[in-house]
Amino acid sequence: MRVRYGKRLLAIVLAGTLTASLAACNKKVESRADKADIAVTFDQIKLGEHKDLKANLKFLTHKTDIVDTTFKEYVSEFQKMYPNISIEYEGITNYANDITTRLTTGDWGDICMIPVTVDKNELKNYFVTFGNLDEMSKEYTMLFNYSYDNKVYGLPSMGNTQGIVYNKRIFEEAGVKEIPKTPDEFLDALSKIKEHTDAIPLYTNFAAGWTMTAWDAYIDACATGQADFAHEGRVKGKNPFADRGDQTGPYAVYNLLYEAVSRGLTEEDPTTTDWEGSKARLNKGEIACMALGSWSIAQMKAAAEHGDDVAYMPFPISVNGKQYTSVSPDYNYGINCNSSADNQLAAMLYVKWLIDKSGFEVSQGGIPIKVNAQLPDFLKDFDGVGLLYDLPTPAGEETLGNDVNNESELGVNVSGGLAKAVVEAAINGQPGMKELAAEWDEKWTAAQEKCGITH
Amino acid sequence: MNTKRAPFNFFKWIQSGKVNRRLCMVTFMLTPLLLLLVFTYIPFVKMFQFSFYDMKYIGERKFVGLKNYSEVFSRKDCFQALKLSGYYIAASFVQLGIALWFASVLSFRVKGGSLYKGFLFFPYLVCGIAVGFIFKFFYTRGFVLDTVLQWIGFDLQSLPYWLKDKKINNISITATSVWRYTGQNMVLFIGAIMSVDSTLYEAAAIDGATGWNKFRYIILPSIKTIIVLNMILSITGSLSVFEPPYVITGGEFGTGTYFVIMNKLAHESQKVGLASAMAIVLFVLILVATLLQKAGEWYFLGVGDREPIRTIRRQKRIVKQAEEGGR
Repeated sequence: MRVRYGKRLLAIVLAGTLTASLAACNKKVESRADKADIAVTFDQIKLGEHKDLKANLKFLTHKTDIVDTTFKEYVSEFQKMYPNISIEYEGITNYANDITTRLTTGDWGDICMIPVTVDKNELKNYFVTFGNLDEMSKEYTMLFNYSYDNKVYGLPSMGNTQGIVYNKRIFEEAGVKEIPKTPDEFLDALSKIKEHTDAIPLYTNFAAGWTMTAWDAYIDACATGQADFAHEGRVKGKNPFADRGDQTGPYAVYNLLYEAVSRGLTEEDPTTTDWEGSKARLNKGEIACMALGSWSIAQMKAAAEHGDDVAYMPFPISVNGKQYTSVSPDYNYGINCNSSADNQLAAMLYVKWLIDKSGFEVSQGGIPIKVNAQLPDFLKDFDGVGLLYDLPTPAGEETLGNDVNNESELGVNVSGGLAKAVVEAAINGQPGMKELAAEWDEKWTAAQEKCGITH
Repeated sequence: MNTKRAPFNFFKWIQSGKVNRRLCMVTFMLTPLLLLLVFTYIPFVKMFQFSFYDMKYIGERKFVGLKNYSEVFSRKDCFQALKLSGYYIAASFVQLGIALWFASVLSFRVKGGSLYKGFLFFPYLVCGIAVGFIFKFFYTRGFVLDTVLQWIGFDLQSLPYWLKDKKINNISITATSVWRYTGQNMVLFIGAIMSVDSTLYEAAAIDGATGWNKFRYIILPSIKTIIVLNMILSITGSLSVFEPPYVITGGEFGTGTYFVIMNKLAHESQKVGLASAMAIVLFVLILVATLLQKAGEWYFLGVGDREPIRTIRRQKRIVKQAEEGGR
């Protein structure tokens, strides 16, 4: 009797949870499109207004290294103007994964860095509008990544260019006089470094994983000289990974890595690379170069005492004799559309302060997003290199890039999976780069077809 | 007859023995049940639900029925990854062997026994992520392991790359889980061995039994339930390995287990529905594996005081034969 009673109780409890969870789910499906946006826009708002505003803000960030230092200074500086606004930073180590889960709850804080997992048509359900794209483009650049329907939902904290961070002294000691401009010249330079110095010519940072996404960032504008290649060429084009035969395009980028690894020009064991340690090793000249975005320069310079040796070069691919580099936004600030009106206003003021006054992008070696702002010093070495800014995606195709990428599971710009596969294949000696590219094209084409792209 | 009942008194009722006892039980159980519900059952039910949808973490969900399940079975990488579990199952037997050996030695008075127990149990207390990082450096070229091996005369050139070499990297990683869980298995074994009646050993000693005899005929039969339990735990654990390959190699160079691949699909390709379906399939597989082991236990070893089914059948057959012969 008692046993049966217990069973019945368990059944009731389980049934209860089931219905409760289903009910909870149904609620979430409701669209949040009717959320009112705050009245003021980013280009209208002025620092110094609303001085008596009271709010407690929570800021989620991926920059765990400066949460307790630089950001604290920013907050106290900001509070000189707005004493009643307090800001609490929360650094998240595994940011890219965790933030996606937390966003779904709606109650994650007030400001965060928008993850790539939010599709453009979903932005309005999570973030406040900063303003009209047309209006805001007069003052700021690089706004296209998180704009939808002519509305801006994310403001870049800074912009990055793509290239190779290297140790000048080692390149000179190895007898490399000219900065390499093509894959072959680059591989020659690496061989010289291996021959004449003790440094590791190219350090892959394979084990950290996310560092490998740097290679994906070269395959679009840098490798083709076309600002719209990412969308028109890679997402929509036919077999984008195939060998073009002229040392340009995505194939040339990955092939460069393949050759470097198979010729023994990288570290001997990629599975045990150490990201934190690698910064000081590049600085001291134990590593000659690494493939990373321009955001890395400041960190490499600060890692040890030979900061002056750290330099940056454009990616060694030339299209018709000219090199290109892309200018694209880093993480974007986004403001929670579920926060109270006061918090949203306060958050908007703080973001305004961060972009206009903090000097964050300069301290991190990034490119300011303000129109006509002064470019950072390292770009002086980029003489004659074409700077290609990201272009907006055509209306109606905003989510296509993410869709094809997810469906194909290649994880371009997300997982670094392609570059990792290249390193692994090059070490094992098979499959060859051609077979790898063919395999990717096959997956990519299948995903394109599923998303309605036919050639 | 006077059937008038006393007016209902709530305080009296709640203080009465039967109600009070039930109330106590419910209150004490509330917290663990709530935790179980919130962190295990509700997520599980949600995951089961997700497995029927084509969904990302953020964005619309589309009901697709059993499509995710058919994809799990038609993909090459999912079940390919389960083969890696073979390494971990093999390792779990090694681990049980070591644990049993240490347990049977340390159950008896040994100098500094508690110290050894402490040392052996310690790795289990270290967080899995930390263990991963420790071993990443342990296996790095020219670091701890290589240095120690060079001391005993190995040449660095002849040593393999522990995590890069596909012939050996899975063994390197399983070794870390052996290091971590041996202590825990040992403690369970020691507990079981301690509960054996010590007069049995004395009697055996008088009869002239050797150490091996005592182990084979006293300890082993007394702790078979715990051995089977440990085996079940180890094998189900082997099917769902995640931390060591995820932290040490990130699942690269052929070390991606089923869970690592599931994690990749869910987080890098945003195929949450497919990953949920993978989890449910693995859940069923583990259930089947456990049931098979339980069935094996009933058949060969017997549970508790019950004789193994094999023995019962044999006895029945003998009885039957005797009856037929007597006719």
